[in-house]
Amino acid sequence: MNYFMQQIINALGWGSILALLAAGYTMTFGIIGLVNFAYGEVFMAAAFAAYFALTIFNLPYWVALLVGLISAIVIGLAIERIAFKPVRGAGMITLFITSLGASIIIRNLFVMLFDDSLKSFKTPNFLRGVYLLSDLIFFKKNILIFSITIILCIVLVYIVKNTKLGIAMRSISYDSQIAETLGINTERIIIITFIIASFLGGMAGILWGILFGSVRASMGVIMVVDAFIASVVGGVGNVFGAMVSGYILAIGSALFIAYLPQELIGLKPLFVWVIFFIILIFKPSGLFRANIK
Amino acid sequence: MKFEKNTIVKYILGAGLFFVTFYLLEKLLSGFWLTLFLLFGINVILAISLNVINGWIGFFSIGHGGIMLVGAYAAAFLTLPPSFKVGILNLHLPAFILNIQLPLLPALLIGGIFGVMAGVVLVLPALRLRGMYFCAGTLGFNIIATTIAENLPNVTNGAMGLRQFPSYTNIWWVWGIAIFLIYITLMLKKSYIGRAFISIGKDQCLAEHMGINLLKYKIYAFGFSAFFTAIGAILWVHLILNLYPRAFDLILVFSVVTMIVIGGMGSVSGSIIGAAIVTLFTEILAPIEEGFNFFGFQVPQALGLTTILLGVLLIVVLIKKPEGIMGEKEISLNFLKGKK
Repeated sequence: MNYFMQQIINALGWGSILALLAAGYTMTFGIIGLVNFAYGEVFMAAAFAAYFALTIFNLPYWVALLVGLISAIVIGLAIERIAFKPVRGAGMITLFITSLGASIIIRNLFVMLFDDSLKSFKTPNFLRGVYLLSDLIFFKKNILIFSITIILCIVLVYIVKNTKLGIAMRSISYDSQIAETLGINTERIIIITFIIASFLGGMAGILWGILFGSVRASMGVIMVVDAFIASVVGGVGNVFGAMVSGYILAIGSALFIAYLPQELIGLKPLFVWVIFFIILIFKPSGLFRANIK
Repeated sequence: MKFEKNTIVKYILGAGLFFVTFYLLEKLLSGFWLTLFLLFGINVILAISLNVINGWIGFFSIGHGGIMLVGAYAAAFLTLPPSFKVGILNLHLPAFILNIQLPLLPALLIGGIFGVMAGVVLVLPALRLRGMYFCAGTLGFNIIATTIAENLPNVTNGAMGLRQFPSYTNIWWVWGIAIFLIYITLMLKKSYIGRAFISIGKDQCLAEHMGINLLKYKIYAFGFSAFFTAIGAILWVHLILNLYPRAFDLILVFSVVTMIVIGGMGSVSGSIIGAAIVTLFTEILAPIEEGFNFFGFQVPQALGLTTILLGVLLIVVLIKKPEGIMGEKEISLNFLKGKK
């Protein structure tokens, strides 16, 4: 039983990162129907920016966090302006192909400049070490990551449900033309959505650096697929559902490989895809009601 | 079909023309240019067969890497020398497979049939999922196939892959199959089956109302596409002489998708033009990736540069000319006959 509980506790750190990514993913997915494959590169670029600020320029931690988040927002908006705005309205498939192209361009650029090796990410001293509760181990950094995610989750759900901005977002996702005739500046709302999504992606990237102690150029492509699946499982456009299913997928994967024989551990990616196909066949609207759309 | 005397003469003349052309090309080309020409032919096969799904049926598949993987491994077990399969790797396969080494033709057919099986698996998501969700499902198929192939060390030698392939691929195989495929797809486009495919792509519900059996034609289309995709992959493996699961990941599928998007989705001649552009682009720029000395100025190594430029090309084409070079039209040869 302790082994079981310990697996769940360990998965919470990774699950938080997945939850943040899935929340950002589901917002752009819900609002302009964009399956943003390049979102993983926003995640990766933020982690790299924070890594450079920490290691090369020796900046303090909060400055590195700021640098990472700002560069995530800049890159996210640049991708939106260059690759998505000109083809918006040309259908989901076209948007998907351009996002795939953008993702491959950015990832290969990073591999070309900094190669694909692991780069060690400094963890602040106060996050080293563990707490013990009876015989369960809680890593300090897992607790920090989990609490940051929960706070962001509450803020985000409040924004989407209760503020004017959130109501505007939801109306655009129902029908952007009607929203525009009702006097909503759709262009502005879409930009704000991208800023929020990139902020969440950047946060997730920096937290990934803290959690695993390393960053690499191909880390985005692994996570973006899982985040996409989490957003589908949670119901497209449903921020709360995406976060919960991010945790479900992370805990499920952790338990899946925990009880698998040692030589089959490489089969880990299969888990999320099996869940994806089961959900699409039996409950295509997702586990939770799709509440943006 | 009624064969008139004129038609038979035309076919004989055409066959003779191709024979002479490829005989001359085989004599003239060597080294880099030969490889380039062979890669061009293989890309034509891959692009046209992907176009049947993505352009005609209208289901955007990025899972053809999985089909290539299944077909290529099925053929590889047949054409690898027994000394490698048993002596070096000790693969756990049935004894009769371990002890034979077949020539290319049976390997192509058997690999193609395994590819068709993998392709029919892709019909399952195509029955329920539409648009973006089908696309994601095929991506899942690709990732699942790669993951399984990497984790069966006793059968596929895992991520290390297979080597020591016999060098079977030559101009005759590649371009014979490519010309055959071009001819078949051009005929198919005018036939009942091809028009059924295209009508499914335009509007699935309307096509069903017109009396087209969706399941039947989807299976036909995926089977046809998968057979030639697998054959293209087998020829590719016997050209580059090694095979590992990651070879068929998203980057390869992405380059084939780039070909058909540039050329124009739904157009056979567009796929050929797209394949030509992408092959030339990739192979001509490949030496630049290694770094070179430009008038005393050392240009550093830049791995992955061609993929980046390919991505830029794809985005520019999608923004400036979304229908591609040819759109859905074909290059017409009717001007040779003097009529419009």
